[in-house]
Amino acid sequence: MKLKSASKLPALLTVVEARPLTDLAEVELSGCYISDLLSDVLANAQPGVLWVTIHVHRNVVSVASMKDITAVLFTCGRKPEPDIIAEAAEKGIMLLSTPLTTYETAGKLWKAGLR
Amino acid sequence: MAPTVPVEKKKAAVRVAQNANGHKRFRSARARLAGMTRKPAIAPEGALKAGTAEERMKPVPTVERTANVAEKRQVSLAQMLVFELRVRDAMTSPAITATATDSLRSIQHLMKAHRISGVPILTNDVLVGIASIEDIINALDGGHINESVEAWMSRKIVTLRDHFSLVRAVAEFDRHGYGRFPVLDANNRLVGVLTRGDITICLMHQLERRAEEAVAKEAALVATRAADEKAHRIVLNTDVKSGDFESAGKLSQRIREVLRARGAAPDILRRAAIIAYEAETNIIIHSLGGRITTAIDAIKVRIKAADRGPGIENVDLAMQEGWSTAGPLARELGFGAGMGLPNIKRCADEFVIQSELGSGTRLQAAVFLQKAGTTL
Repeated sequence: MKLKSASKLPALLTVVEARPLTDLAEVELSGCYISDLLSDVLANAQPGVLWVTIHVHRNVVSVASMKDITAVLFTCGRKPEPDIIAEAAEKGIMLLSTPLTTYETAGKLWKAGLR
Repeated sequence: MAPTVPVEKKKAAVRVAQNANGHKRFRSARARLAGMTRKPAIAPEGALKAGTAEERMKPVPTVERTANVAEKRQVSLAQMLVFELRVRDAMTSPAITATATDSLRSIQHLMKAHRISGVPILTNDVLVGIASIEDIINALDGGHINESVEAWMSRKIVTLRDHFSLVRAVAEFDRHGYGRFPVLDANNRLVGVLTRGDITICLMHQLERRAEEAVAKEAALVATRAADEKAHRIVLNTDVKSGDFESAGKLSQRIREVLRARGAAPDILRRAAIIAYEAETNIIIHSLGGRITTAIDAIKVRIKAADRGPGIENVDLAMQEGWSTAGPLARELGFGAGMGLPNIKRCADEFVIQSELGSGTRLQAAVFLQKAGTTL
């Protein structure tokens, strides 16, 4: 059974050993989308989700902003450049980074109840 | 005009004018304006011997009186109006008349029936005199009420021409102190009667009309401005350089800002932004460079993307999802999913693409602002 707290952002941090790159707000996520193809995210991601990707390029922020994505979680310990982090913060998109691979991250998020 | 009238007669006429200067029109307006007409219409001391005709015609007393009642800003308009308006605009027409052979009794009944205090007397349609309520009172007093009016009417008549300005008419009222003037046209035909009350009411109506016109004009202006603003086209010309991944997304951001400011639905914002973004990244990844022209008006967002080549070898293939010719760098950045053109087509309410190998690709897509489309 899905726990309510499971879809809240700070609670998920520990699950995937993630570190916040921007300020985090107590936000309910609408779900999760995992893709490294920007056009795929543009086409298929729902607003309000957590987007998991290995890309740390500026276009990730653009795409997230366009789709009203709540937060982006970078895997494999990747981190964007500080100016990109600043741009995301300005656009109200929360950024996180985890040392786990995308596969491990997906498994743990699912297990924690994020659907 | 032959303005030689006994003083007693003048005063009597004035008093009558105050008591019953009425015609049936606009009685409430008349009542409201009582204060403006109550003052005796006698020329100020010395007015009769005032030098030039121009001086005598100055409308100053009337205008000042109006200013006390009406708002100050209307004064200049009222002043303007008395110059603009003609006697024919204000007079009561046709005039209630009698013939010289009619009895004073019948004229008394006429005055009562029409609530008027003076009746022009005609013989064969020519003005020959005027009977005032004073004449009727004298007839009742003197016992000749049943006699014909001919012998008792005033034959010294001051008339106004219908083309005179109201300024001049006011001056004539001040000068002669009469309660009314018969009005003649250019052919000396009696066309109406003018009282001070007629002038006041005419001015009132004109002021009201002008005020309404001004309000309507203002409202129309505001509406037009709002419509203009709403329909106001914004055209964004964006040059896109080949390989410039860093700049991608700025145009989309701008389009979103404009649409959000105009209150467009989130779905519209998203679709327009995705089209612009995909078109932009297509030019960055695949072309030698190009330009995107975005036009936003009240109806739609129209995005035109044109590049300088090399063009798409097979547009049908390019429209297939997953088919991509993107190079390794683009793919490394997350592009090249083969979803760009299908995404644009899905987001657009209108979509046209033309491409010629060697010359370039032209793409045009539109999102209508009123219609909600697919939720992407």
